[in-house]
Amino acid sequence: MQVPFFEIQGVSKYFAKVIANKDISFSIQKGEVLALLGENGAGKSTIMKILYGLYRADEGKILMDGKEVKITCPKDAMKLGISMIQQHFSLVPAHTVTENIILGNVKGRIDHKKCHEDMKKLADTYGFDVPVDAKVSELDVGVQQKVEILKALYLNARLLIMDEPTAVLTPQESETLMQFVKSYTEKGNSVVFITHKLKEVMEVADRIIVMRNGRVSGNLKKEDTNETELSRLMIGKDLVQPEKDSGPMGDKAKVCLKVEGLTIEKKGEAPLLRDISFNIREGEIFGIAGVSGNGQEELCEAITGSLKPTAGHISLNGEDITGLTVRERIGKGIGYVPVDRHRDGMVMPMTVAENMMLKESFGSKWANHGFIDKKKLNACTQKAIEDYQIKAPGPDARAGGLSGGNQQKVILAREVSVGSELLILNQPTRGLDLGAINNIHTVVLEERKAGKSILLVSTELSEIFEMCDRIAVMYKGSFMGIYRSEELNTEKIGLLMAGYAQEKEAAGNE
Amino acid sequence: MNDKDKLKDLIITNFLAIAAGLILSGLMLMLLHINPFTVFGDALHTMFTDKYTMGDVLLKATPLIFTALAFAFTFKANLFNIGAQGQFYMGAIVAIAASLKMDGVVPTPVLLLIVVVLTFVAGGLIGALIGFLKARYNANEFLVSMMSTYVVQALMNYLLRTFLLETKGEYPQTDAISREAWIPTLIPGTRLHWGFVLAVLVAVGVWILLYKTTLGYRIRAVGSNASASEKSGIKSKKVFVIAFFISGALAGMAGFTEINGVQHMLIQDFNTSIGSSGLGIAILANANPIGIIFASILFGALGVIGNLMGRMPGLNIPSSIVDLMQGFVMIFVIVSYFLRAWMANRREKRRLQKVVEK
Repeated sequence: MQVPFFEIQGVSKYFAKVIANKDISFSIQKGEVLALLGENGAGKSTIMKILYGLYRADEGKILMDGKEVKITCPKDAMKLGISMIQQHFSLVPAHTVTENIILGNVKGRIDHKKCHEDMKKLADTYGFDVPVDAKVSELDVGVQQKVEILKALYLNARLLIMDEPTAVLTPQESETLMQFVKSYTEKGNSVVFITHKLKEVMEVADRIIVMRNGRVSGNLKKEDTNETELSRLMIGKDLVQPEKDSGPMGDKAKVCLKVEGLTIEKKGEAPLLRDISFNIREGEIFGIAGVSGNGQEELCEAITGSLKPTAGHISLNGEDITGLTVRERIGKGIGYVPVDRHRDGMVMPMTVAENMMLKESFGSKWANHGFIDKKKLNACTQKAIEDYQIKAPGPDARAGGLSGGNQQKVILAREVSVGSELLILNQPTRGLDLGAINNIHTVVLEERKAGKSILLVSTELSEIFEMCDRIAVMYKGSFMGIYRSEELNTEKIGLLMAGYAQEKEAAGNE
Repeated sequence: MNDKDKLKDLIITNFLAIAAGLILSGLMLMLLHINPFTVFGDALHTMFTDKYTMGDVLLKATPLIFTALAFAFTFKANLFNIGAQGQFYMGAIVAIAASLKMDGVVPTPVLLLIVVVLTFVAGGLIGALIGFLKARYNANEFLVSMMSTYVVQALMNYLLRTFLLETKGEYPQTDAISREAWIPTLIPGTRLHWGFVLAVLVAVGVWILLYKTTLGYRIRAVGSNASASEKSGIKSKKVFVIAFFISGALAGMAGFTEINGVQHMLIQDFNTSIGSSGLGIAILANANPIGIIFASILFGALGVIGNLMGRMPGLNIPSSIVDLMQGFVMIFVIVSYFLRAWMANRREKRRLQKVVEK
């Protein structure tokens, strides 16, 4: 057997309160695509950040071509030919593509012309269609990712680490990325692909390292395994998929939310929302698919009241709520799980109980003459902790100290109680592990059964197909059409997500 | 790590920080060829045995509690009111003007009650103005509040030369108010007045307001995460104005206790450092209202010790030793804050490593 390109031997990393990595050992061969599979918090990113020099290992060592190497900062890693593309890109938006790529790698006077031509050549070599003099801020995320890759190639990276690279891409863009990965590794280079998506792993990887709770729980060749086995290794148990029935009332149910001609447009700018119309019936899950940043968040916020539409109407149970404030709409029974729970959903330094009353600090639900009814609040929070299986020491635990999945459950518990009529979920399972996703899906389906109307925004197609009764695809602030979920498939939806309109088989939307 | 451990850590590190501050101050004294042990010993001895001096410690702590609360209150809303000095001046102006007007006209309790309300509102309005500028025009509250102090100070100086000028017309200061308008003495034989009790009650009140009421809840929520609060129907701009009003009002009340309780008149360059000291105390107490009471007493004590040392015959200890001691203590307390976080982090890591190895 050949000497592995890189070898990680017994690496451990401790953070305060968590063991991020314990005794991790595996190797990366030349010309290999290695998938690093695991749930959030399994330690995938941490071990790769150690290899890239962003973190220091507390124990263990790293070998390159059989010799031990010390990697203390990304610069060391780059010298050894390691490049890492972070989940959040590290590009300077105000600079051009060329400037971004040469950043940190040129000294003294910059020969712009030469750099420029180098970039063009480089992009052509790999068949990347990247405008090298465009500003990064003007590029789509998919192209920005290519810029990141070019940056790595410019440094002659021989090991490319990609952290959840497909999270921001359309299915078609993902396809292009996979092709690049194949052609890149054919030249003898290696790729580490960090992901929690089983499908991708089976598609692209030669070998799979499965991680769970900071340890390696499996090291398998793709040919020798299947999705079921991987999922078991990843979670440690079998998952029971929640069952979806045909819905309590189907087409005859009462319309709960009605949105007509909703538009948000600032003067001189492209509209954020363009003439959106749809309705949601009681007991229906209405899905919105699309690459994130195409107006989904604006749509949610227009319905919850924090963004004012420039045209159009929103009504709830026949009552026009377009002019109501956020607080009044909460009072009408609209619950909202925002996409960014850190920014919009929770107050991290506060306790779980305090977060439970965030939406209803006015009025008498939690208060007596302005004084907080701590007893009632704690009792309700304790009940939510039990009902939703939130892993928290108690109502007085700091919300910021919980794991992402448990934080999301706290928000969901609150919004289910607030949203007695309508529940708006913007990517409710983003970044969560399979166990938590399963939990959340079960809750949402139960709420559907109870007759609530649910608006589900998601970038995960599997989630959209699994949960929704009807699906709208959003692109640049417009709906590309509304479909029954059985009318669509991955390919069709992918084209719509990329903005290719097709013959609309008008359905569902009377 | 539970809360008990944290409290223990807090008390130990703060105690060490104070000790370190005093030791460093002692070293400074040694540079002046003064034996710090005898000097500190004497000063402490006097402080703890002399009723009058002890009373002065609490007397000095009183306005500091108010200005520290003022800073802490907006700090909880993630806002910075560093204009407590100006709000205190505004309170002082209103206190002296109202007291002079009503002196001998209305009975003492009524007068004091009216004055305390007026100072509260006066300081509060200055605060609310800052909050309004922040909310309406997105002005930087840090700068606006800082500059507001100079504006109020200029106003005070103007008034001291015109409408509030003493009858003699000699110095830029007001007439003294009569005993009728004084805050009654708390302990006979000392200068300590009921204003100290008021300060402690207000601190407890602020604590209740922040942690037990929905208004306080909203202020803290907006402070920690304005975006999430907005999405939850809380108008963060309104909260800014309210928080700044209360903050300014608290600082304004220091004007009441200082005028009616201690100075009994308004003079130029009156108590120039209680705003900045209050800021330091609030940080020292981690913006906790109850902690502020103790931190203020500590600062009062340091001030008194420094004064005692300055007055020691034949030693010529510069009076700036007060600032030096307070500064050193403050630095160490701030360092201890980071030390605590680092220690807690390391302990957790160790514990974890042990658990794994078992």
